[in-house]
Amino acid sequence: MPFINEILKYDSLSIVGLEKNVGKTECLNYILYRLPLHRKKVAVTSIGIDGENKDQVTSTKKPEIFLREGMYFSTAETHYRERRLVSELVDITNERSSLGRIVTAKVSVGGKALISGPSSGVSLRRWVAGVQKFGIDLTIIDGAISRLSSASPAISKAMVLSTGAAFSSNINTLVQKTKFVVEMIGLPKLDDVTRDALCDIESGVWGVDFEDNIIDFKLTSALALSSLKSDITVGMRLIFTVGALTDKLLNMVADSKNVRNVTLVVKDFTKIFVTEQCYRVFCARGGKIKVLQKSKLIAVCVNPTAPNGYVLDSDILCEKLQDALGLPVYDIVKNNYDI
Amino acid sequence: MTFKSALEIDCGLRFMYDMLDIISPCGRKMLLESEMMTTKREIDFHYRRLNEIYDKDCTRIAHKLMCLKDIHTTLARLENGTVLDDIELFEVKYLAIISSEVRTLLQEQKIVAVGLPVLEKVVEILDPDRTNIPTFYVYDSYSDELRQVRKQIKAIQGNGEELPDEKRAELAVLLQKNADLEYEIRERLSGELKEFAGNLGVALRNLSFLDILIAKAAQMKKFGLCFPVVVEEGETFYNGMFNPQVKDTLLGLGKEYMPVDISFEREPVTIIGANMGGKTVVLKCLALNQLLAQFGFGVAAHDCCVSLVDEVLMCIGDEQSIVKGISSFAAEILAIDAVIKKIRDGRCILALVDEPARTTNPVEGTALVEGLLEVISDVKGGFVLTTHYNIANSAVKRYRVKGLREGKMDYTLEVTHSGDVPHEAVAIAESLGIDPEWIECTKRNLNN
Repeated sequence: MPFINEILKYDSLSIVGLEKNVGKTECLNYILYRLPLHRKKVAVTSIGIDGENKDQVTSTKKPEIFLREGMYFSTAETHYRERRLVSELVDITNERSSLGRIVTAKVSVGGKALISGPSSGVSLRRWVAGVQKFGIDLTIIDGAISRLSSASPAISKAMVLSTGAAFSSNINTLVQKTKFVVEMIGLPKLDDVTRDALCDIESGVWGVDFEDNIIDFKLTSALALSSLKSDITVGMRLIFTVGALTDKLLNMVADSKNVRNVTLVVKDFTKIFVTEQCYRVFCARGGKIKVLQKSKLIAVCVNPTAPNGYVLDSDILCEKLQDALGLPVYDIVKNNYDI
Repeated sequence: MTFKSALEIDCGLRFMYDMLDIISPCGRKMLLESEMMTTKREIDFHYRRLNEIYDKDCTRIAHKLMCLKDIHTTLARLENGTVLDDIELFEVKYLAIISSEVRTLLQEQKIVAVGLPVLEKVVEILDPDRTNIPTFYVYDSYSDELRQVRKQIKAIQGNGEELPDEKRAELAVLLQKNADLEYEIRERLSGELKEFAGNLGVALRNLSFLDILIAKAAQMKKFGLCFPVVVEEGETFYNGMFNPQVKDTLLGLGKEYMPVDISFEREPVTIIGANMGGKTVVLKCLALNQLLAQFGFGVAAHDCCVSLVDEVLMCIGDEQSIVKGISSFAAEILAIDAVIKKIRDGRCILALVDEPARTTNPVEGTALVEGLLEVISDVKGGFVLTTHYNIANSAVKRYRVKGLREGKMDYTLEVTHSGDVPHEAVAIAESLGIDPEWIECTKRNLNN
């Protein structure tokens, strides 16, 4: 039974897909089916809607989410009324989505339901904290299409990544693109005396010099770089951007003479929005990126079928990805785990 | 006037509202929609209730109120005989449980300010298993048939394995049966609960009201506010009146706030005094305290007596409107004219006017203010204005800010009988550290 035992080591998990139709829901169902509920209390929600039986964009058939007896789940009240299971309502939260208030319930007789939870990172964090009053051991968040934000270590400690032919129908491109994302997830954690101080900063771009002084560059974000008149890397050993890390900042550091002596720091991998090409140039010149918080990537799941009908060879795909990533890769559907 | 519209008056009421720790959204809504009280009877009744809460420790009650949700639409649907769904029944049960718990706490503390109806029967209906926890679903124990259907569903469903077609069809039938049975039970429950809709509404309103009272009592303690004496007619006086927002800011800077004493009845009042002497703050305090008293809050003074009015009108004089195409002078004069009309109509109002006719020449300005004071020699409620003009009228009560004393501002108000205004503008301008040449030229001109 691949990777379930690994998940049980953590108290929060998010499942994210790199594209629509990469088999994220199958992956979620696979996990939900196998969790030992007699040992762990589990709560499930989703960022965005999930569990509908037909894809809203491509009109392809989608698997529905099956919730087992004893699980807790949070969904919008509209979807709660449409559930096809018996459940006990335990809380109406103060979170709202476009489909109404988010309610939390405990499943009494297993069945299918649409899950649509809080839609922002902040409200998800509140949700994780809120369900703790029911003694939840593991919170599972189903991520939205091509949105990695729910996998931020600030929200969940562990993650499972879904990728597949929908992301790219060329095996080599797919492997390469996925590898880049996995590489970002695997960036090393910053081990530095100033780490705690950096964690407390809420916005802007900052530097740390060789005497460990933390310097504010007075930039609202890395997007305001054009207002700079001088090279910010001079005399610095760390450059920390609280918000998004963009190609612009990356290129600026890559073009600087100090590129070898300075390390770029970001909060976590979800803040990185650089293209692979720029990143490679940056690395070739000796640049380094580190993160303040790191997620644990437990496994990668693949779906070799694209919504346009194109099917990749599952075995070759898994093998190639596994070689490139150095991580276990699973095709949940092909190896049919009874779902 | 509702509390919401009173918030528009620029007198610091918004600050008091922001600083009020009402926990529940329905409490906040109730306060915003509340009408200003205008009779002594209802205000006294309100303060009696507030006084009772003021003396008690309500932490545990406040804790319970944190869970209070505004479910008035659900209750309206219940009263109209609609079949409630799971979420609505959950809300009803939740309200009934909170209400019962708060009721017990009120009894323990011997608080009678707020009464809550007995709703144990509601809890009983919605809690057939007697778990007494605030959760809800259509329990198996409501019907044996339902229990059987659910058992069958469970047997087919298993852990969510892929089902053969015939099983799937069977499951669909069972799920439909389950939904039908649940509906029947909810229909029955809604019917049984209908008679309690009124009492549930009372519970929701009174819990919201209790929330407001607890917040008001806490605010009184926090800002050192007093219970006012309220009269239908007669003198209004404040001893040690202060502005909570300004006082709060000064305290933060390590400075002290100088409270003032003031009283007025039917004759108009003028306040003269140096610039930066706190005249406008006094006007705002008067408006604020009148509103606080008539909305049942603690009043910002050491002690006070408030004569009730129907309306509070403030003319601060910056209503200049480019859009309407009128100058600041025109806007001000029209606003004051509206006040005169209301006074003529015999309405009981508190009108507060800051430096009327200040934007025109002093000769006509003085005449306009003198004329105004002649026109409104007798006001039901109160009329207070500040001015820098020498006003000759004798039928007014005059206050003067003590002003600069050895380079320090004394904000105290003293009653004076002469209309002579203080000549401290240059000294104050000098203390602000402005261009010395300007000051010098000014002084030379004055001496000439």
